[in-house]
Amino acid sequence: MSYHFGRGWSKLTPYLLLLPGLFFYFLISLGPSIATFFFSFTDATGIKGAPVNWIGFDNYREFLFMGRASIDNLDALKRTLIFSFVVTTVQFALGLLVALIVNQKLKFTNIFRTIYFMPVILGVVIQGLMWSLFLYPLGGPMAKLLALFGMRSEFLGGQPAEAFAWVIFVQIWANMGITMMIFIAGLQTIPVELYEAARIDGANAWQVFKNVTWPLLTPSVNTNLLLNAIGSLQAWQLFLVLLGYRNGTQVLGYLIYATGFGQTSGSVTSTFRQGYAAAASIVLFLLVLVIGMTLQTFLQRREKRILG
Amino acid sequence: MSKKISIVLSLMVVFATLLAACGTPQATATESAQPQGEKPAQKVTLRVLVHQNPPMVAFMESFNKQFQERHPEITVDMSVVNANDLSTVSQTRLSANDIDVLDIFGFANAVQPYMKQADPPNWQQLIEAGLLMDLTGQDFVQNYDANAIKDAGTYNGKVYAVNLGRVVYSGIYYNKKLFEQYNVKVPTTWQELVTACEIFKAANIPCMTAGGKDGWPIFVGAYGLLGAIYPDQAALVEGLWTGKIKWNDEKSLEMWRKMQVYARDMMEEGASGIAGDAAPGRFASGAVAMFPGGSWYAPAIEAAQPDFDWGYIPFPGSDNPEDNKYWFGKYDQGWAIAANTPNKDAALLYLKEFSEPANYQAFVDAVGFIPTQPTAKLNTKIGAEIAPYLANFRVGYEQYWVAPKGAGQYANPWASYFKPFGTFDDPVELANKVQEDLQAGLDAVK
Repeated sequence: MSYHFGRGWSKLTPYLLLLPGLFFYFLISLGPSIATFFFSFTDATGIKGAPVNWIGFDNYREFLFMGRASIDNLDALKRTLIFSFVVTTVQFALGLLVALIVNQKLKFTNIFRTIYFMPVILGVVIQGLMWSLFLYPLGGPMAKLLALFGMRSEFLGGQPAEAFAWVIFVQIWANMGITMMIFIAGLQTIPVELYEAARIDGANAWQVFKNVTWPLLTPSVNTNLLLNAIGSLQAWQLFLVLLGYRNGTQVLGYLIYATGFGQTSGSVTSTFRQGYAAAASIVLFLLVLVIGMTLQTFLQRREKRILG
Repeated sequence: MSKKISIVLSLMVVFATLLAACGTPQATATESAQPQGEKPAQKVTLRVLVHQNPPMVAFMESFNKQFQERHPEITVDMSVVNANDLSTVSQTRLSANDIDVLDIFGFANAVQPYMKQADPPNWQQLIEAGLLMDLTGQDFVQNYDANAIKDAGTYNGKVYAVNLGRVVYSGIYYNKKLFEQYNVKVPTTWQELVTACEIFKAANIPCMTAGGKDGWPIFVGAYGLLGAIYPDQAALVEGLWTGKIKWNDEKSLEMWRKMQVYARDMMEEGASGIAGDAAPGRFASGAVAMFPGGSWYAPAIEAAQPDFDWGYIPFPGSDNPEDNKYWFGKYDQGWAIAANTPNKDAALLYLKEFSEPANYQAFVDAVGFIPTQPTAKLNTKIGAEIAPYLANFRVGYEQYWVAPKGAGQYANPWASYFKPFGTFDDPVELANKVQEDLQAGLDAVK
């Protein structure tokens, strides 16, 4: 058997070349994850030089079972699931619809693709600022629109349910472009001959979509569903930028950030609780793991059934 | 041969990467043991962190410029962060040895003996981790009022921060022109405040505004309501922890009923969208009759509209005018130095020059603080407005309050829980919810 890197010590070359990458993977990704797991059993504050004591499952007990705060945490967990479900399904459906439209051989499709993708490149802060201005309740464009119908709203600063719904909307608006691009890439791999054959057989548009496009889009469907589900379960930045720490709007990701960095009390002298936040992170990790693995197993089986 | 070269090259890549990753940045200057802020021996970059407060930032930029002109060997690199992020940024930059001088709020929220299982506040955590420099004995500390140093910058007998001033947050700015135009009496009681708002609303003028987008400005304006009912706020906190005071007792219910009127009827529609920094400008535009908020807003109001005629009164939370002659507030910004700073001389020199009476006076004039240097004067307009009741200054509830672990998210006396900002429409229901959330925490730490 020929081996590109030769024999003897030379066999080590590819492994040595992998080492820098592995080093950074451990340093930046796996290492902190393991450290987070470890810190979740401590009272770490995140302050250099502060003592770190092993406290067993106290953080988990407090997060899941202690007083009313644990019920608030479970509410945040439920809100995370609602957020993820709505974002995943709506973003997926809209992304597919838009991809199907802009994949047609029509005029200006490239311009429309760019327009739909543009929010993705803006960054969370810009996205948040744009929508804060758009939803400014004191004469912003949306307030003026509502005023035409004799209505008004505080939008992001009003009822928690409404504010939460706006974050879902902005999240979908901000990320739909990625979903669309993945679908466009998938659509362009489908051979034109299959469409031609289907039409010769007399298939209508719906039958073409159902029997040609949808099955052959399976890899893109799987990628999008997984990315949307995992991304939305971990979302927190838009909550920070659009709402800040407000009762009745937190999702688990934002709760972790706010707890870890002492932003839950509204006081500028609050406490750093990174051990506790680490325990909350592990709860979120387990949630993502269970949902992600279940979804992946289901999608892989489906892919095998459809594509063989 | 080529195989050997590839091995050597790959090893070089590995070691170069490891070395690059493990290297530490060179310190900007060597550490010196010279005390009392002597000039550093070589060029240094002094890293300063402050929170966002436009008049203060403007003053600091001007001060930094003069400081650099006097000391060309020192370059000041000042970072500005949102007040909500100050503690996080301080912690991370102190931990990374990436800061020399930092803005730190007056030491508050200390854990009291009756508070069970409570975690220490962040300033205490930073001191116990050895990240803040002991400033005891520095000459410039003597420039400040001994009580302010003791109350707002001392821990375990050592000075870790010099506090730069107190602020009042239980007051209301009012538009003098509108009050005269509509012949409205400046309110000294709750009922007069309600009447004033009714007159302005009838004239289609919003009664009050606030920077509700930042959350806390909605409730901070209502501290006067809390203060009128519980003037001794340290005792209030102890009473809540020990169960002697409840948020749903008859006395507290009076506060909740008034808070609902404040949130629902007094605050202008759309206030939740106004950013904290934008609220003074909104008030100074003359469109709104009143603006409940802290004394730190005064310079921003003056900057937005220099000719605008305004006054500042204690929030009249009670129907007895005598109960409304108090200011509630806190120790605001202070200076601390990172214990591990490589620029110790420059950092001490910076605080020494800042603390010189002339510079300090210019600072309080710019930001409107109540001075903590005994020689400084209340020269500002806001100072003149505050002066009549200054003897009745009291530290406010949020400076004492530490929530018990396990308490729910509503365990605070915030007006923003009421509609349109929150979900509650019934004061009794909210009072019960707040007490229930607090009690859950108290029971959990028994």
